[in-house]
Amino acid sequence: MRPLEGIRVCDFTWVWAGPFGTLQLAHLGADVIKIESSKRLDTVRGLVPADNQPGVNRAGYFNQYNQGKRSVALDLTTAEGKQIALELVAKSDVVAENFSAGVLERLGFGYEELRKVKPDIIVISLSGYGASGPLSPYISYGPAQVPMSGLAALTGYAGGPPMEVGISYGDPNAGIHGAVAILAALWHRQRTGEGQFIDESQWEAAIAVLPEGVMAQVMQGEQPERAGNRDLLHAPHGIFRCAGDDAWVALACRTEAEFAALCRVIERPDLSADPRYATLAARKHNEDALESEISAWTRTRDRWQVAEALQAASLAAHPAMTSADLVADPHLRARGIFVELPHAEVGVRTHVGIPWHLSETPCTVQVPAPLLGEHTDEVLRDVLGYADQPIERLRERGLFS
Amino acid sequence: MGPLAGMRVIEAGGGAAVGYGTKLLADLGADVVKLEPPEGDETRRRGPFPPGAEGHAERGGLFLYLNTNKRSVTLDLTTSRGRALFHALLGDMDLLMHSVPPPEMAAQGLDWQTVHALNPRLVQCSISRFGQSGPRRDWKGSDLISSAAGGWATVTGGGPGGEDLPPLKAFGQQADYQGGLHAATAALGVLLGRERHGSGGQHIDVSIQEVVLSFIEMTIAHHAYGGRVASRLGGKVLQPWAMMEAKDGYVFILCVQDVEWQRFVEWMGNPEWASWEIFADRFKRAETWDVLRPFIAEWVAQHTVEEIYTGGLARKLAFAPISTMGDLLASEHLKQRGFFAVLGHPEAGELTYPGAPWKFSATPWELRRPAPLLGQHTAEVLGLDAGTLARLKEERVV
Repeated sequence: MRPLEGIRVCDFTWVWAGPFGTLQLAHLGADVIKIESSKRLDTVRGLVPADNQPGVNRAGYFNQYNQGKRSVALDLTTAEGKQIALELVAKSDVVAENFSAGVLERLGFGYEELRKVKPDIIVISLSGYGASGPLSPYISYGPAQVPMSGLAALTGYAGGPPMEVGISYGDPNAGIHGAVAILAALWHRQRTGEGQFIDESQWEAAIAVLPEGVMAQVMQGEQPERAGNRDLLHAPHGIFRCAGDDAWVALACRTEAEFAALCRVIERPDLSADPRYATLAARKHNEDALESEISAWTRTRDRWQVAEALQAASLAAHPAMTSADLVADPHLRARGIFVELPHAEVGVRTHVGIPWHLSETPCTVQVPAPLLGEHTDEVLRDVLGYADQPIERLRERGLFS
Repeated sequence: MGPLAGMRVIEAGGGAAVGYGTKLLADLGADVVKLEPPEGDETRRRGPFPPGAEGHAERGGLFLYLNTNKRSVTLDLTTSRGRALFHALLGDMDLLMHSVPPPEMAAQGLDWQTVHALNPRLVQCSISRFGQSGPRRDWKGSDLISSAAGGWATVTGGGPGGEDLPPLKAFGQQADYQGGLHAATAALGVLLGRERHGSGGQHIDVSIQEVVLSFIEMTIAHHAYGGRVASRLGGKVLQPWAMMEAKDGYVFILCVQDVEWQRFVEWMGNPEWASWEIFADRFKRAETWDVLRPFIAEWVAQHTVEEIYTGGLARKLAFAPISTMGDLLASEHLKQRGFFAVLGHPEAGELTYPGAPWKFSATPWELRRPAPLLGQHTAEVLGLDAGTLARLKEERVV
């Protein structure tokens, strides 16, 4: 039995942060029921349609981060829609939402209301700025958390401008922090029977993973300068160009023994005795020149041959992977990280599965992301005990659109 | 008291991934015993340090942050006596979370068969660079390597015209922090399953490479759904989504949904160009960004960062300043939320730390004690008298 089998999550989350959090619970075996509506469509159902043919069930973004969940289409602006949602809350262990602060209260689904229908309910509210404080009413998105948290000001090439980090990092970071919080609250409920409300701010969760920046400011009165791929402590430490189109290899050299080995691999044993590089302090001081020496060797060579030669000498190295590299990678394929299940509208596509593996109760993604409203009838019937006729009546009234 | 009060955790291997994974648990109430080699965890040497204290094992900011609420036991797991003392501790633990690389696990007494036999209820969570199986299981790695191997660096940095700039890692040790977060998630899930279903312990294999792969947004979806290879040299999927120069510095402009774009256009005074068909939806604006960008840049350049940020908030637009660490520490909002925490430490003194990532209504996150001194709790945890402790120190076991 998967660890969270028997746990039900009533999932009002959308876009990426919240869905990434509840994805983890689905991975662990929870029954995650996504409440959504075409009248307030999850914006990532439009990002980006398979083969450029539009359709709310065709989006790679949505289908990646909602694997293993069920979808109920429900119009929450109607009294009956609200009533059904409350009935579902009463049958759930966890309620998750990432609307802007206050939206759920206005819908009548604040924590105090929800605990009336389910006294030990665990509610997590995941908002940009949190449920209190002067900025709490305002919206945010994961991409905005990269500059807001200070990560953008710390990331970038030496001497260059602040940079984004390629992804909406504030989202998955908030989502996974949310998953930890929900599980901890479930643990407490398991022990004591007590539920609770969790207030998570995307902004605060993003700052929580910047200790090197915050502590430098606190201890030294200034924040670290942007330094590309270089390390505070070690050198050489970077991503070096190899032969071929946009081909690169990452290298992290952390000890004197590793540096000596590196010099042998790149056929420059003279460098380890060179006073410019003989000590770590000297290497840090002459890092530009040292990086040129390494690039001179890597740039004429294949990135995999470079990585393999370095690893054979016990150095930490790996090509910088593209999506095409990743989906074809023999190591990742051998690990079974990709999920390729048939989906009713887009067929078999490659998705990333569960990044951890259990020895006794293996978890796998068992069903692809749901079609919009795919499980409305099933959930009303099996979870809430509705008969077919009332379901049809409600459908005719447009409740499930 | 935190929600995990009573949970017993032991940590080994060192570094940021396992350090953050168990910090999450410790700050939520778990009792975390951190095993360190006699010379100390590697993060003790990483800084940042206050001026004049470079390399001080008790004063590194990263170590102090990652190890709040934990106890420290020094133990050399490469000695048989060290392993015996380690194994004796496992009897009443719920979770062993570690980062010892797969090829070294057996030699340090961490192979699953041994651990499982000692305590069948124990959950062991092994965090590694490439996982416990597969052809590159034994490859060496680091945060930078995980960022490259997981596909993150390739989509970071660069920008149009940046062909000569290498793929870039995000600041800090983000691959490792995410590794720790996913490890904590899996471990808590498995422990809950144990409590709920009466099952035994099990071994969790967390690959940081796979963790990174699991959160790089659209990178794999672009490939699987559109045959595109995402690159740091290409454009965004939607626009506007950019850092731009305001009157007094950079500001971040973002319209995820078309309704947000409409509100932004209205704010800019409904300029004629905004009605052009080539800017009609978020995807078209991404395709024509080279044309659109100068129009928006002109408007942005006439306003201050503050005007754009607060004006955006008022219009339900998630624009953002490029915060510095100083901005965060001075933020009135974060102050009112009580986010930053001040904590004293016998060697490092009173310092401000990033605080709770969440607020629990019934079981609050709390800092009960600062990061431990190296080996501060060795005798207490191992139950050693003074004579035995001295002898083990001499033998360099503790």
